[in-house]
Amino acid sequence: MKSKKAYRSKMRILADMMRAIQDEGENGAGPTKILYIANLSHDRLTQYLDELVQKELIKPTDDNENNRTYSLTEKGYEFLREFARVERFSEAFGIEI
Amino acid sequence: MQDVLLSLIRLDLLLESIAGFIALAVSHYANKAFRLTGQKKLSDLATGFLVLSAAMFGHVIGTWYFFVLKGGDIGSLEGSTVFSVVTIAYGTMKIMAYILFALSTRPIGGGHSPALGLFMALPILIDPRLDVVAIIILVVVVLQSAMNYLAIRSHYALYVLVGFCLLLLSHMSAAYAERGYILSQVFQFLGFIALLVMLVRAGREV
Repeated sequence: MKSKKAYRSKMRILADMMRAIQDEGENGAGPTKILYIANLSHDRLTQYLDELVQKELIKPTDDNENNRTYSLTEKGYEFLREFARVERFSEAFGIEI
Repeated sequence: MQDVLLSLIRLDLLLESIAGFIALAVSHYANKAFRLTGQKKLSDLATGFLVLSAAMFGHVIGTWYFFVLKGGDIGSLEGSTVFSVVTIAYGTMKIMAYILFALSTRPIGGGHSPALGLFMALPILIDPRLDVVAIIILVVVVLQSAMNYLAIRSHYALYVLVGFCLLLLSHMSAAYAERGYILSQVFQFLGFIALLVMLVRAGREV
């Protein structure tokens, strides 16, 4: 029987990345950690990190690219709270997001 | 006798109005979730609850108009074309909503199942009565909700399962039970209360 892998929406990937950052607390998470936890390719990671920064959901903590970590903004925390509510609601009806 | 009937109808209007508002709230939240995630099934779910809510409000307004404004003369309603249209529209809209529920809650990985489409058409071939059609479609919805609950065992999924089971009971009592009319309204109301509890609990922060 062919096993189908659950589709992970872009929004789910962004939420996974932000949760990886949230788990690291106030110090923030570096790209390698985010890449590992969110299970992404490097190209995708760079693209999505730029998008999250642009949307002001995360902010880089250092200008130097080698030491750069990311932490959540207030808007980012609010997004994660809303996403968790939507996740519970969708789960109740058996809808994967 | 007529007073008793009128008081039951008033209770019916109250219960159905509350259920209509709950359906509207679920629709609003599903639509909000759709806008955030882009998941089409959430959009279908939102449309389903919106259609259901419109059906219930239409029924409330129709019943109120015929029974309260027209003085509750049941004899004159028997042959009333407008009353028949309202009743058929109510049943048809509910069935449309249930079809949307069946489509939006179907398990992932199934894709578009031709068997499900066939099963949806089956009730009309078996029995064209609207309540029977609704019952058969709701059986699909309840089975899908039960499968979801068994797979994830969450409180939220349980509330949805209970809600859909009560909606199924509501149609079963309307179709088969004596005094089915008020019983069906009570079951429907309780079903929506279960959905409201799910909505409130899911919206609460952990």
